[in-house]
Amino acid sequence: MIIDSSNRVSRFNWLKRFPIPRTFNVTTESLIQPGRTWPAPSGATRTKAFDIYRYDPDSGDNPRLDRFHVDLDDCGPMVLDALIWIKNKVDSTLAFRRSCREGVCGSCSMTMDGTNWLACTRFISDMATPATIYPLANMRIIKDLVPDQTHVFAQYAAIKPWLRSKTPEPEKERLQSVAERGRIDGYYECILCFCCTSGCPSHWWNGDRFLGPAVLLQAWRWLTDSRDEAKQERLDDLEDPFRLYRCHTILNCTRTCPKGLNPGKAIAEIKKMIVERES
Amino acid sequence: MHIKTIAPATKAPRPRPLSPNIQIYRPQLTSVLSIANRITGVLLSVGAVGLVIWLSAAAAGPGSYATVQQAIGSWIGRFLLFGCTFAFFLHLCGGIRHLVWDTVHGFELRSIYISGWSVVATSLALTVAAWVVGLCTGGWL
Repeated sequence: MIIDSSNRVSRFNWLKRFPIPRTFNVTTESLIQPGRTWPAPSGATRTKAFDIYRYDPDSGDNPRLDRFHVDLDDCGPMVLDALIWIKNKVDSTLAFRRSCREGVCGSCSMTMDGTNWLACTRFISDMATPATIYPLANMRIIKDLVPDQTHVFAQYAAIKPWLRSKTPEPEKERLQSVAERGRIDGYYECILCFCCTSGCPSHWWNGDRFLGPAVLLQAWRWLTDSRDEAKQERLDDLEDPFRLYRCHTILNCTRTCPKGLNPGKAIAEIKKMIVERES
Repeated sequence: MHIKTIAPATKAPRPRPLSPNIQIYRPQLTSVLSIANRITGVLLSVGAVGLVIWLSAAAAGPGSYATVQQAIGSWIGRFLLFGCTFAFFLHLCGGIRHLVWDTVHGFELRSIYISGWSVVATSLALTVAAWVVGLCTGGWL
């Protein structure tokens, strides 16, 4: 019941989903239809069912939910292994992003059993039966588990995520003390998988104008960097009823971060910094 | 300079579907307490109307006051009042939790869960305590 790190899968699942109709707030093109079932290969003894969101942009059909039976004796331990197994052995048209397979690239973020995480660092044994896999929540879908991230990356670009200096460039590198460098610990490690932004209810309703936890964590990463000299401009850009203040400290972000970072705390730091500069 | 326009497509491109969000995302203590804080806030606004009715009845005279008292003392009245008491304490404790967060304290995931369950337990305990005190001192309404 007490979760002390985000990698803990909750064993106490009192509610699988909010008690609302499955069609609540869903437009017709996004309605999910029942899909087909793909049987396990003959001879498989230990199998597990995976319900996976499918969308084929060329078919003209709505998204559907396909059920795959994965042979666990022929497959690696992670959810990403199961997806690769399906693509290799069952349906080669299954589309998903992956690269590093060890939780450092942030490509394979998706909604698994209702929470966002990286498929490469989620154990199949931690998944419910049947396991459910959706693409990252609240994104426009290009194909199957591949979301269009244009909007969230545009939001990232909007905070100017680079060092902005006014003083003349030094001859050598810009120096930092160990303590100054320590201030960006817990923030610079973000891999931009957007698990937090996609899991933020406030971003679901106001994603067009609210920047979302991932981008605001990055904003704080630059605000607290001792080498950056555009603090006032950055705060001016953020001080907005929507960009920053649509964060209502729900903290789904901190619960879901696959890198164990704390976007909720970063946002609180920004709010505090704005209050302090005004006083 | 003249730029040639690309020939219009024969049919409008199909809009990309939006992946499900609230329909499939798992309720967690974080999101449940957040929405509970909102719902209790709305309930308290409605309950404030009830409070005004009760005060107006008291100002209007003993007859109308007795009528309202009878309504509150009924089975449904007590149930609604109990709900309002719980909503009040949950909103109060949740509000204090948010005030602490505004000072950038208690953001470690463990602290978030401990403070969250504390809000639930404290508001339940305060509700029961308020009713025990109310029923004892008020002569069972």
